[in-house]
Amino acid sequence: MNSLRNVLVLVGLLVLAPVTSAQDARAIVEEAQKRTTSTSQRYEGTLKVINEKNSVSEKRWNFERIGSHGNSKSMLRFSAPAEVKGVALLVVNHPDRASDQWMWTPAVGRERRIALQDRSRRFFGTDFSFEDLEERDTNQFDYRLLGEETLDGAVCWKIESRPKEKKASQYTHSHIWIRKDNYVVLQIENFKKTELIRRARYSNVQRVQNIWTAHHIEMFEVEANSRTILAIEKLQYNLPVKDENFTIQAMRREP
Amino acid sequence: MPLLVLLMLLAQDFSHRGFVEASANIFPQEAVNDSAHFVGEVRLQHEGFYKPWKNLQFAESFDLRIDSHHQTEREFRLDWKDEGRQRALFSLRRLSVQYYHGGLTVEAGKQLVRWGRTEIINPTDRFAPRDFLTVVDSDFLGVDAVRATYERGADTIDFIWSPRVTTGRIPLPNQRWFVPPEGAPAFQVERQLPERSQTGVRWSHIGVVEFAAAFYDGFDYLPSYEVTPGSLVVREIYPELRMFGGDIEVPLPLVSIKGEAGYFQSPDRRADDYVSYVIQLERQTGEWFFIGGYGGEVITREGLQSAEFNPVRGLTRTILAHAGYTIDANRSVDFEAAVRENFDGFWSRNEFSQAFGQHWRMTVGFTLIRGKPTDFLGQYRKNSHAMVAVRYSF
Repeated sequence: MNSLRNVLVLVGLLVLAPVTSAQDARAIVEEAQKRTTSTSQRYEGTLKVINEKNSVSEKRWNFERIGSHGNSKSMLRFSAPAEVKGVALLVVNHPDRASDQWMWTPAVGRERRIALQDRSRRFFGTDFSFEDLEERDTNQFDYRLLGEETLDGAVCWKIESRPKEKKASQYTHSHIWIRKDNYVVLQIENFKKTELIRRARYSNVQRVQNIWTAHHIEMFEVEANSRTILAIEKLQYNLPVKDENFTIQAMRREP
Repeated sequence: MPLLVLLMLLAQDFSHRGFVEASANIFPQEAVNDSAHFVGEVRLQHEGFYKPWKNLQFAESFDLRIDSHHQTEREFRLDWKDEGRQRALFSLRRLSVQYYHGGLTVEAGKQLVRWGRTEIINPTDRFAPRDFLTVVDSDFLGVDAVRATYERGADTIDFIWSPRVTTGRIPLPNQRWFVPPEGAPAFQVERQLPERSQTGVRWSHIGVVEFAAAFYDGFDYLPSYEVTPGSLVVREIYPELRMFGGDIEVPLPLVSIKGEAGYFQSPDRRADDYVSYVIQLERQTGEWFFIGGYGGEVITREGLQSAEFNPVRGLTRTILAHAGYTIDANRSVDFEAAVRENFDGFWSRNEFSQAFGQHWRMTVGFTLIRGKPTDFLGQYRKNSHAMVAVRYSF
């Protein structure tokens, strides 16, 4: 009887193992998301694009967001170099689907919607694609715990995420490294089938208003052999920003 | 000291940008009325924004330019109206005050207004007169207007009232972009500018499908010509115009479809009534973008005018294409082409552009124009040219 019970327990564990793994992975990602939740965010970003010939071009943008994780709106406006000063991107994130995005180019004088199928394109010569600039809720993905790995001396969970709605993303799946001690994301690798497309490395993690935040993000695009380093400065959370500053009209207003 | 403090405070709310550009166009062929092979220009454009209060902003933009071919006046005067045949040496593109509160934005003064959604041809873009001195390389002119825009959720209403019509700038008679009718005697042009205001309203909706409906009541900003037999005086008129139009964008899994159409109706019997429309497909793949479309026109009533100058209508019944490739963060190439459906005219612009450092950009390219002399594009077949431009942005 005992041996039968042991067999049943073993079978049960084997059947439940993937479910538990998925639940654990989701719980980890949700905890990481919860720890970075804020009502708003603002920072100044400096981008260095370093191509395969090691030539460097620099850009700067101001970023502002209201809401958080899949229920947010963000406005990104270039302040340098001079020829792109004023160019803006409005991203409206949705909890259940891909974001809506519009771009404003002062020289053209009209906003332009960025269609879903165009989101894999590099954003203004950086190694970030338009899709990389959106912020999605954990509920738009399925998760699987792949194991544990040490990255930059920190023990991390390695988690696979797959978009539930396949057509909504250029990536078929991603691998996410999350630090076990503080739930900070250290690395994301984005794949198309088996091919690595982009790798984002997060470093210089500092605690700002009780939120652990990477101030240095390096995006590497494999095919172009190019990388963009985003340095975050003057970061603030939970500012009193207004919803009316995140509309197409607001995007058209300058600066 | 108080002045210094005041200046520091002003500086905190003042931002500006602009560029200085030197360009050269080289024309291998002589035109009937223009033997020049080279046109050079230097242009300074400045835009400034000052925000004294959170919801109030002043904006200015001006052009300071000079060229080798007298397309620009030599007399130094501040041009607000843009009524001159030549470009002004110093012209205001924008001088406006903008106030916003909640979803309402009101802007009054000289400003640039753009409507529509498609590329190359925009039938509904009625408040955007253009400088067509160089027909295939036009620039937008500002209009004096009060513009009120109210945005609520996914819907926006845009209302514009303009006390006067800014007319488009047309090619100068002694230059290559003006093609005189064959055998025409020397004539005088008597210009009749529109005298009343223009009004327009546009409702737009954003969602999975984006669309807009627009109405305009005013004048054509491009002229028609009336010739009296036996007279050497040609009357240049700007017919009254009403436009009912709209545009739409439908994103599909592989391409985005964009369309724009306008029905133009005039109480002036000299002008045509017609429908102008554009349908285009867009796709971006990797660092390429492709736009292909067709611009069409259906005349519903023929007017009695003897002739007109209208590059917007001239580019209808045409297959349009635009493609571009971003080579890297600093370099890109761009191709545009228009082919008449009867193959009587062809225009193509091809450019390579490279940025150097934070401020400099050089663009080189060529424009090829071919076709029959009776075709709108073909008439400029001797105006194919190469260009080089160096720009310093600040």
